[in-house]
Amino acid sequence: MPIAGTGVLIGLVGLLLDEFLLYVATSWIIFGILAFSLDLVWGKCGFLSFGQTAFFGLGGYLASVAAINLAPLTGNNLVWIVPVGALTGACVATLVGYFIFFGRISALQGTILTYTFTLILWTGSIGLTVAVGDAIVGGDNGMTGIPALTLGLGKDAQPLGPLGMYMTVLVIAVALYVFVSALLRRPFGLVIAGIRMDELKTELLGYDVRGYRLVIFIIGGAIAGIAGALFASWATYINPSVFSIVEALLVPIYVLVGGRGTLVGGFVGSVAVGGLSFWLGGGVIGGQTTLALGVILILLVLFLPRGLIGTILHAVQRIRRRTRIPGVGPVTIMVPAGSSCETTPPEIVSAAPALETVGLSKSFGGVLAVQDVSIAVPPRGIRSLIGPNGAGKSTFIKVCAGMLRPKSGSILLNGTDITAEEPFARVRAGLAIKMQVAQVYPDFSVWHNLWLAGFARFRNEAAADAIVETVLPLIGLSEKRYLDGAQLSHGERQWLDMGMVLCLAPKVILLDEPTAGMTPDETRRTAGLIQRLAREAAVVVVEHDMEFVRMLDAEVTVLHQGSVFAEGRIEALRRDERVLDIYLGRRQSVKSL
Amino acid sequence: MQWDYLAIVALSSLTSASVLIIATLGLAVIFGLMGVINLAHGEFIMFGAYGALIATRAGMPLVVAIVFAALVTGLFGAVVERLVIRYLYGRLLDTLLATWGLSLALYQTAVLIFGSTTPGVGMPIVSVAIGRYSISAYFLFLIAAALVMLAATYLILTRTSYGIMARASIQDRDTAAAVGIETGRINTITFAFGTGLAGLAGGLLVPAFPATPGMGIAFVAKAFLAVVVAGPVTLTGAAVAAGTLGWAASATASYLSTVMGDIIFFVATILLLRAFPNGISDRWRLKL
Amino acid sequence: MTVLLWARRQLASLCVAAGVLVALPAFSADDTIKIGSLHDLTGGLNIYGIQQAQGLKLGVADINGKGGVLGKQIEVVEYDTQSDLPKYTQYANTLLLKDKAVAVFGGLTSASREAVRPMMHRAKVPYFYSSLYEGGVCDRYNFIAGASASQQLGVLLDWAAENYGKKFYIMAPDYNFGTISATWIHKYAKEMGGEVVGEDFLPLSASDFSPTIRKIQQSQPDVVVALPVGASQTGFLEQFAAAGLKDKIGIVSTNYGSGNQQVVVSPDAGEGIIASQEYFHWIDEPKNEEFKKTWQAAYGDKEPIISEAADAWNAVHLWAMAVEKAGTTDAEAVIDALESGLSFEGPNGTVAYQPGSHHLKQNIYIVRGNREHGFDVVQVFKAVAPTYEDEVCDLTKDKTVSKQFVPE
Repeated sequence: MPIAGTGVLIGLVGLLLDEFLLYVATSWIIFGILAFSLDLVWGKCGFLSFGQTAFFGLGGYLASVAAINLAPLTGNNLVWIVPVGALTGACVATLVGYFIFFGRISALQGTILTYTFTLILWTGSIGLTVAVGDAIVGGDNGMTGIPALTLGLGKDAQPLGPLGMYMTVLVIAVALYVFVSALLRRPFGLVIAGIRMDELKTELLGYDVRGYRLVIFIIGGAIAGIAGALFASWATYINPSVFSIVEALLVPIYVLVGGRGTLVGGFVGSVAVGGLSFWLGGGVIGGQTTLALGVILILLVLFLPRGLIGTILHAVQRIRRRTRIPGVGPVTIMVPAGSSCETTPPEIVSAAPALETVGLSKSFGGVLAVQDVSIAVPPRGIRSLIGPNGAGKSTFIKVCAGMLRPKSGSILLNGTDITAEEPFARVRAGLAIKMQVAQVYPDFSVWHNLWLAGFARFRNEAAADAIVETVLPLIGLSEKRYLDGAQLSHGERQWLDMGMVLCLAPKVILLDEPTAGMTPDETRRTAGLIQRLAREAAVVVVEHDMEFVRMLDAEVTVLHQGSVFAEGRIEALRRDERVLDIYLGRRQSVKSL
Repeated sequence: MQWDYLAIVALSSLTSASVLIIATLGLAVIFGLMGVINLAHGEFIMFGAYGALIATRAGMPLVVAIVFAALVTGLFGAVVERLVIRYLYGRLLDTLLATWGLSLALYQTAVLIFGSTTPGVGMPIVSVAIGRYSISAYFLFLIAAALVMLAATYLILTRTSYGIMARASIQDRDTAAAVGIETGRINTITFAFGTGLAGLAGGLLVPAFPATPGMGIAFVAKAFLAVVVAGPVTLTGAAVAAGTLGWAASATASYLSTVMGDIIFFVATILLLRAFPNGISDRWRLKL
Repeated sequence: MTVLLWARRQLASLCVAAGVLVALPAFSADDTIKIGSLHDLTGGLNIYGIQQAQGLKLGVADINGKGGVLGKQIEVVEYDTQSDLPKYTQYANTLLLKDKAVAVFGGLTSASREAVRPMMHRAKVPYFYSSLYEGGVCDRYNFIAGASASQQLGVLLDWAAENYGKKFYIMAPDYNFGTISATWIHKYAKEMGGEVVGEDFLPLSASDFSPTIRKIQQSQPDVVVALPVGASQTGFLEQFAAAGLKDKIGIVSTNYGSGNQQVVVSPDAGEGIIASQEYFHWIDEPKNEEFKKTWQAAYGDKEPIISEAADAWNAVHLWAMAVEKAGTTDAEAVIDALESGLSFEGPNGTVAYQPGSHHLKQNIYIVRGNREHGFDVVQVFKAVAPTYEDEVCDLTKDKTVSKQFVPE
């Protein structure tokens, strides 16, 4: 493993360094662990947390209280501070994380919330003076007398020297890195990456993104807590300045300088920035440390936006990509005679509707976008949903999927009321939605895009592998399986999105303008695919393209200004004067009705 | 409760809210509207404060000096936009890093040029008696200034052709360019407008908050909180957020301690964010 | 000032500066005695840090000019802690492990001192802290050169009671210095039969003083004891004056002026504010004129000299005296020498280390702000002893104690 190797290398380098430099470098590694915790939460999972220093500080304080009171008994204080630091960070992160993620607080507001939390800790701890056993939290004067890092056992154990501390902290850092790397393997790591790239899409595949975010946040909190415990032990001192705005801002700086999402970036950034300011403070340029640091940062952003490691990795990737198999070939969609799309055994078709809405209404401010819509869709077959612009079709779909909360009314999926359910729960219950704009993961290959959907459905890697292989030929992307989502053409992305829906093997499928931007050829093929799907599921298709609606040859519901205007077969509707009225003058293709 | 006590509590709370609004407005434009995280906002306020200081020492009357401060800070903001910011639109995090570097550089430059202590300009020693209490007349002026700044910014951004072009450029640069708006130039002007507002804040506040290289830090944290709590309707939202939070903090400070006032400010922020996950103005139908 | 005079001054200061710079590293490692300097030269606290470092280096140049200590020149190894606490830990360790400094001078906030003090205690290196602070430190290896809060407040409150009245309002920052000072004010007020009619604690980055001012008006004190932290809290003084309160209520402070805040405050607001510290630029002491001349030759006269700079000057001189007396730089001998009742004639008169407490018996000056961004001396309290520290701390009897005492 490359990182273990690098770790050994850094350890060996340590043997060559002067004692004082070892001591200082230890603090860089500790701050690196802190930055690493942020890179996990932010670089990997997409949430910018300003709370890492809060967990760092709280972990440091509580671990030090434990160390001061308990370490004299055992000598070794590592056995106290690492668990206490981790536990403190984890517990506080659980509370804060639950508040943010289960409260569905949006990204920016969530970030500021963590920032505010840290500010509260800072303001409060400066004036807090209290004794906990032998440990004294001395307000701004901090806590002194924290035992230095000691590995030996027994009352007379001596603290480690600079080399010992350096090695211990390095080992812990490498261990944490290895742990996180292992954690982020398939499938967990894929889900996390999916949440980072497109949280909504990942939820719509059926993953409870709140829970995943919380888990990552808790782990990040625990790691930051460990870093704090180590820091307090390194300095044998801790004070409220760990909660200050300046320290909180430094952490994202370290991550960005090193390269966000690279996991090692945090360490690199900490060493780079910490090392630079340490060197400058030795009087190198006449004391203008802050000025130099500021200018360097600006230059870094303008010229090395991916950070130091990120830039290197990106260059390596670009070289690699040029040697990959190009996947450009004719788009062939095989629609085999057998129902190879079927992965669930045929069920007895009950008469009860698969999807039913009862008096569903949704308003935005004063505008009633959906008014008292009651629709019943049988478990097999297609229902086309049409209407002029602003009729409320997309809003209706979104309410059914759970992306919007209805004002009143209820939604039933196979007889179960899902009105109060979160979107991911509805997906797990068999509902799938494909939005108008293709939602694919740009940094995942076609294969991984589909795999994530398949895994969401079956929660089994082998089953996910199988369904991906089944779906790829159906959507005609077999030869492009290794291309990234970002490299596909517009039409190909729509197909990929459709493929992800297929891998969910859903019972009810909501399609919002699936042929938007497609060529007539592609449109015809989509119609064929939908008709095949409709043999095993209920498919609700919102469409503008009347030709496509005709191709589908299904029951049609017309919405107008939020209400159900008419229902019936398309041939009858296109002769209905009222329907023509609501369309007249607004669409050129009204002739094709 | 006597009338003068209630009046003075109300006025001093209004003062606190006004100071916060004045300090926040520039950030609302740059962060709220343009999507640029400007960590150097405090330093732009400081820039304006020193600008006003130099102007008064050169003999300008205070009011002229304040306008001078706003203009010169706006000009400097335009330069910064041209050199650095324009490469970073849409890259939210890079603006974080770049403006942090800028704030460090500006801070230290101020120390180099002005030293850590510079003679201040002072408030006019004119007070207004409210029963048994008194309040500085300058603060009453600041309350009026905050309202004027708000109204003027709102009108400029919604009623002038520049304002419409500015908001178009921000919302969708490509479409704006497609209809013939010089988005590059407009964005420079908007950024300059935002920093000019910060400079104006510095000038307005400098008699009451003496110019020091680090003066911005005290305002920046709360300004950010106010802008984020504000939500999508940036200007009005920020004004309401700053006003509400500032008022709550001040009222708490009046009955407990100023430290508790700060803590209540932060706790209220958290509660508001929980109650309004997308900001308080999420459902509002105002334009700006 | 004529061009010639200006040119001569520049030349003179260049020479002194050159001399200072050249003298320090000019000798090889064996020929110099290394002392460490840990000060905030950049960052928010550099108002104090720069002058502290300058005071130290000027003192060293003075000693070196007279032959150094033990026949060797003193070399100052200077680090910029950048107003960042982990840097204090990093550089303190560097001074110990790499530079092998025999004495360390530095720190401004009590937090920075507390980060460094235990380290110096473990390494058994004398550490000098040159700033006024809340008081109470008791550590064999720590010597305080600044005044302690009780030392300043005792005489200040007596003076305030006499000149303004006995009803006090406390405006203090919400951290150790502020809260402990407040404790002392409560104590002293009670002792003299006075009363604390109200208090407000402000966060360190305060930007809103309106509530405090309103509360002051409501409680109607005779005098406000204001302890504004840093230059930014001078806004309180501006707003206080602008509210028209200065004629009715007096203001006294123990830290106003310690960072040249009076330069920032406008003449209207600054006039009449009473400050008390162990040194001011304007005091009339025999050695002050000479001190100021030497300072201005080296660093110019663009800003007044603050008490921390004089403290640093005193500290390094006292250390040098102790080294000469002990005949060695060995820590234990030097400390014993410092505990033998050493006194020095500094720019603020006679300063003498109390053997038990390691704090200085020194003058406390009461000054009044004038309209020229400066102070006029009003009263001098000579040889004020640090009574609290002397009471709780006797390091001649207990050499192992290492803590900071806090009044109840």
